[in-house]
Amino acid sequence: MTDVRAQLVEVFRDVFDDDTLELFDAMTAADVEGWDSLQHINLIVAVEKTFHVKFAAAEIGRLKDRDQNVGTFTRLIESKVSSAGA
Amino acid sequence: MIETQVSNERITAYFQADAGERNRLFRGFVSELKALVQAGDHQTAHRWAGQAVSPVQDYSSVQRLGRIVRQAAAALPGEPFRLAVLGGPTTIQFVELLEAFLATVGPVEIFECEYGLFRQEILVPGSGLDRFEPQAVFLATSMRDIARLPRPGQAAADVAADLDAEATEWLGLWSAVRDRWGATVIQNLFEEPPWGSLGHYATRVPSAPEHFIRRLNARLLETAPPEVLFHDLPAVAANVGAADWFDPRYYLEAKMPCGPEALVRYAHSVGAVVRALRGKSRRVLVLDLDNTVWGGVIGDVGIQGLVLGQGSAEGEAFIAFQQWAKDLKDRGIVLAVCSKNDDATAREPFDRREDMVLRLDDIACFVANWQNKADNLRTIAAQLELGLDAFVFVDDNPAERAIVRRFLPEVAVPDLPADPAGYVAAVAQHRYFEAASWTREDAERAAYYAQNARRNELRLQAGDLQGFLASLNMEARLAPVSEVNLQRVTQLVNKSNQFNLTTRRRTQTEIAALAEARDWATLTVSLRDTLGDNGLISVIFVKREDGIASIDTWLMSCRVLQRGVEAFVLNELARQAQDAGCHELVGTYIPTARNALVRDHFANLGFLPAGADGDTTFWRLPIDGYTPHDTFIQAVAVHD
Repeated sequence: MTDVRAQLVEVFRDVFDDDTLELFDAMTAADVEGWDSLQHINLIVAVEKTFHVKFAAAEIGRLKDRDQNVGTFTRLIESKVSSAGA
Repeated sequence: MIETQVSNERITAYFQADAGERNRLFRGFVSELKALVQAGDHQTAHRWAGQAVSPVQDYSSVQRLGRIVRQAAAALPGEPFRLAVLGGPTTIQFVELLEAFLATVGPVEIFECEYGLFRQEILVPGSGLDRFEPQAVFLATSMRDIARLPRPGQAAADVAADLDAEATEWLGLWSAVRDRWGATVIQNLFEEPPWGSLGHYATRVPSAPEHFIRRLNARLLETAPPEVLFHDLPAVAANVGAADWFDPRYYLEAKMPCGPEALVRYAHSVGAVVRALRGKSRRVLVLDLDNTVWGGVIGDVGIQGLVLGQGSAEGEAFIAFQQWAKDLKDRGIVLAVCSKNDDATAREPFDRREDMVLRLDDIACFVANWQNKADNLRTIAAQLELGLDAFVFVDDNPAERAIVRRFLPEVAVPDLPADPAGYVAAVAQHRYFEAASWTREDAERAAYYAQNARRNELRLQAGDLQGFLASLNMEARLAPVSEVNLQRVTQLVNKSNQFNLTTRRRTQTEIAALAEARDWATLTVSLRDTLGDNGLISVIFVKREDGIASIDTWLMSCRVLQRGVEAFVLNELARQAQDAGCHELVGTYIPTARNALVRDHFANLGFLPAGADGDTTFWRLPIDGYTPHDTFIQAVAVHD
């Protein structure tokens, strides 16, 4: 598991108030209880803060798209973290 | 049992900590609050979450506290205050933050409307808002909700007509809110677009959108009826900084009115207005002296060694902080001093340094000794007869802050930066002293407390109470509720906790209606004595029905306790009731956490017990054969 994924689990657990929540690549909003539009924004804000990254307008909502899941989201964060570090 | 103690310790540790340490302890603190909710102790979780929330926390932290407040609120006792938040932009994120900031106000139920549908909710009978019957309506609007925003170049006459029409429409929405539910309106002023096409020259072009918005704001301020409250959104945005306010990403994706971190400041600021409306604003500023009001320790460096006044940046920073406190005092906030010093040493700079802005007569209560500050704050509260939840305590010493936070969590204790240049902003950003009304009497309130302290002194000298009361030459002015005193009456009705028999809160509109009603009688009492004018200090509402005069509301300012005002008021109530053909006065006492002071009020005045309903007790007093009480108060005629 990457560092990003390990930290991301903590963010998810905080936002969704569930200390037992585990992430998997194919996971989408439908798999998590309470993942509504309010919680979606709460998640995005928490991720931006935790990883010191900024999503583009289109990226903020992208996670809700059909072909997107926790796996693609993790890679998006990783690419932002590494380009910020470079 | 052990678990409970551990949990309390983690919560206490969080409160005791200063800013940096608090961030580190936050996760543990939140888990304890969640554990409390799961254990069913909703009230405690709700209280701690409310006391922990602060505008300097980040979005995620406030949001998590807001969620705990929401989970805990449903189980709270008491009738919730019904607040509608009508956007404009989407409000779901805003409301979760707002709930956190309103937790210490008491239970609050919030109604939200669908995105952008606020006009329909207000105007269409049977709407969700109509069924909700709000007590206050916050119009969380933005410039995008202006229906007639012009484009540069539009004909001047059209722009002027549009301005009239636009203002009229907003006034219409407000009167609908007032007429349909008697609710208080809180209206956002409109913010300006950050980058207009005309730049600075827009100031000379009435058809430029930002020009129009300024004029619309000015028009709304000029024409709004007095009971409408404004939330100065452009000022909040300016405070955050325009560049950090609007975040197009969150607007485009979620229709959020501003970026997430700015949203915390926005929700906090609206929360401060609602707190004021509910009479929960703070009223006392307690100041430490050494390194808070002046630089240096007076006991060490002596009066000439203090860093204060012109000539050094640091000395001027302390002057600026003193000036800020002085302005608050002139506005009616009570100032007190709580310092670890010998009394004479602590007072010396006030008497002998010309460059002190604060003078001894600005300070209603001056406590300098070597006892711990939590105990001293309790003493100050007792002397001022004000609750500790009305207190703000400012001290540069983190250890003193920690003690007060630990033992008196209801006192607000802001973090202070090391640099005194940052003191004003560090305290002011909390918006502790927001007002929902402001009258000349408020400005003089600080003076009342100083006078009261002198009265207490006199009472000790006079020895016997009767002689003391006689020496005061008290004069009371009696008047029904009218336009002249409506603001002050509304304020007392929503603020008085201790001498308040029923603690029934009402909006200004409700009180105005009651003053007009034929079967209701309203009475206000203003009191003057040789030491000064106390202003309007007592409010009584009586409902008359079938020969019985029921005392719905009886409240009094605690600063005139033990002066015989209660007996004087009863004489008047009996006289008025008799004139109205009533044969009996009925009193009700509804106990709260704050009004034990008046538990025996009716018994003391000679009322007979007339049953109880739960904790509420009822009392009756036959009017036939009523013998007026002796008092030392003279009634004087009111000149209209």
